[in-house]
Amino acid sequence: MAVADYFPLPAKYLPRALQPAPNRHLAADGSPLHGLLAEFDTAPGVYHAAEHVRDAGFTAWDLHSPFPLHGVEDAMGFKRTKLPIAVGVIALTGAGLGYLMQWWMSAVAYRLPVQGKPFGAWEPFTPITFEIGVLSAAFTALIGMLALNGLPRFHHPLYKHEHFLASSDDKFFIYIETRDPKFDRAAVQKLFEQSGAARIDEVTEG
Amino acid sequence: MSQITRDQYAAVLEQVARHPAMATDNIHLPENRLRGLSRVLIGLGIGGLIATIAGAVVYSNIKHALAAYLVGTLCVTAISLGGLFWTMIFHQVNAGWSATVRRQFENLMMNLPLCMGFVFIFLVAEIATGGTLLTWMGVDHHTNHLMHHKRPWLNEPFLVVRFIIFAGVLTFLANRLWRFSTEQDRTGDRFLTLKARKTSAGGLLAFALVTAFFAFDYVMALDYRFFSTMFGVYYFASTTFSSLVVVLLITGLIRLGGRLTGAVSNEHVHDLGKLTFGFTVFWAYIAFSQYFLIWYSNIPEESAWFVYRKQGGWENLAAILAIGHFIIPFLILLLRPVKRHPAGVAAVGIWLLAMLVLDMVWVIRPMVYVGIPAAEIPGAERWWVDVAGILGVACVWAGVLASRIGRGPLVPLKDPRLPEALEHRNWV
Repeated sequence: MAVADYFPLPAKYLPRALQPAPNRHLAADGSPLHGLLAEFDTAPGVYHAAEHVRDAGFTAWDLHSPFPLHGVEDAMGFKRTKLPIAVGVIALTGAGLGYLMQWWMSAVAYRLPVQGKPFGAWEPFTPITFEIGVLSAAFTALIGMLALNGLPRFHHPLYKHEHFLASSDDKFFIYIETRDPKFDRAAVQKLFEQSGAARIDEVTEG
Repeated sequence: MSQITRDQYAAVLEQVARHPAMATDNIHLPENRLRGLSRVLIGLGIGGLIATIAGAVVYSNIKHALAAYLVGTLCVTAISLGGLFWTMIFHQVNAGWSATVRRQFENLMMNLPLCMGFVFIFLVAEIATGGTLLTWMGVDHHTNHLMHHKRPWLNEPFLVVRFIIFAGVLTFLANRLWRFSTEQDRTGDRFLTLKARKTSAGGLLAFALVTAFFAFDYVMALDYRFFSTMFGVYYFASTTFSSLVVVLLITGLIRLGGRLTGAVSNEHVHDLGKLTFGFTVFWAYIAFSQYFLIWYSNIPEESAWFVYRKQGGWENLAAILAIGHFIIPFLILLLRPVKRHPAGVAAVGIWLLAMLVLDMVWVIRPMVYVGIPAAEIPGAERWWVDVAGILGVACVWAGVLASRIGRGPLVPLKDPRLPEALEHRNWV
């Protein structure tokens, strides 16, 4: 999963090595194929199909449902995000730098006597150290969440697919993209059929 | 909101009773399983208390022995008050997940009359000796201007009246909630939960006032010159996390013994762990806020309290508290796997209980030798009086607690929130 997948426009200007691999999959009408979309009629149906897709080892795929399905993250094989580690490291770094900044200002650069208190006293630095720690944590969490989710993203080929609108009404979908390293047109078709898909569609790029 | 009918509710209760986690063997300890432990603990505790009295006689210093006893009393009272607090909070916010751990909080809460008994002994000793630790009793309010102003609050008759109110309110609330809970075990009357919730609404307000003024009377007033409106909250912060970790330790030990399987799962441990984490931070926040404002404003009558606790070796204990009571548990409890593992939270729990004791020692012990020249303060060889006093009270308390845990079922049997608690899961 590369940044270029999410930002197609700037990707054109990236060095060749960072550009996304060319798409070799073609739809029935000859246009580039973006992925295969399987439709399911029931929540249990899509839940068990997700388990099959998970076990087949796909990575570039998603499940769409009109309402939240409890436990579907297990069926999809989601792992816990690594984001908290980044948040923790950056928050502690930010707090440390924040303390250092205040210490440098009050005890080194501009020593201003206040009530005869020590210049380097830790007490007045504490609230600001805490605030900078919280600020770093909050920004890392927000920006990191957006980056890991590939957001903001302005377009996806699924939006152009007429039938996909039912995902906000009464149908459930599993979508496997061609950029998945394990993607194979015939194998995915077979997997969907075996999982009990009610209907399978090609989604073209654009 | 629609109410379910009596028959529908009976079906729910039947379903709960059939749940594998609610099997009789799983939610009862074997009969007399804790009786031996309870007797040993009470015996040890009484031995400790006798040793404390011996310490007072050997060194002819009743002040030191009383301070050790008070540290122990305030620690166990904090844990019991926390039991009452969490029971009322769980009722008040209708916390479905908590139904299977609530009985252990109720067990803690039912030790409150015992704690008040400990406080009563302290009070009698103070009044009989004319103010050993509560030194304001010996101050002449005709010549001491500060005492002249504080006299309407700090006088012996009102102190006794306040003690009766504190003990009365706490015993009343604990007994009432316990009665509702045990009656529901027998009858399955779901409206007892509603009554408990209504009791908790007013009870929480009473609890807040009693805890704050209790802390003023028995901790802050040890130095009558000192005043801090934050002090009640400071003590309250200790009650919350300490009761959580004691319940985590109790349920952890019971689960080691093969009981409560499925009734108290790692999901409950996770939630209690999250609360422990939050209230450890809350303690640090309260402690720092109190210290920070007093440090900044630098008014002698306030800062004297901290000045005395930042010299003569007490500054080391203050540093241990800042690191051990906040930074270490904060960093460890940030980790999700620790909060979800019974052994992980138990280890942090034992550590935090030690910190609770050190916190109380730091607050109370310096008062023993306040005003005495450093050269005349005896050395560390009297440590055993402190240990005997603290462990004496704690062991009696733990023995009574163990006997209560061993007697009843380990979870409420017919709580309407049990279906939710038995299936409890953290989705994130």
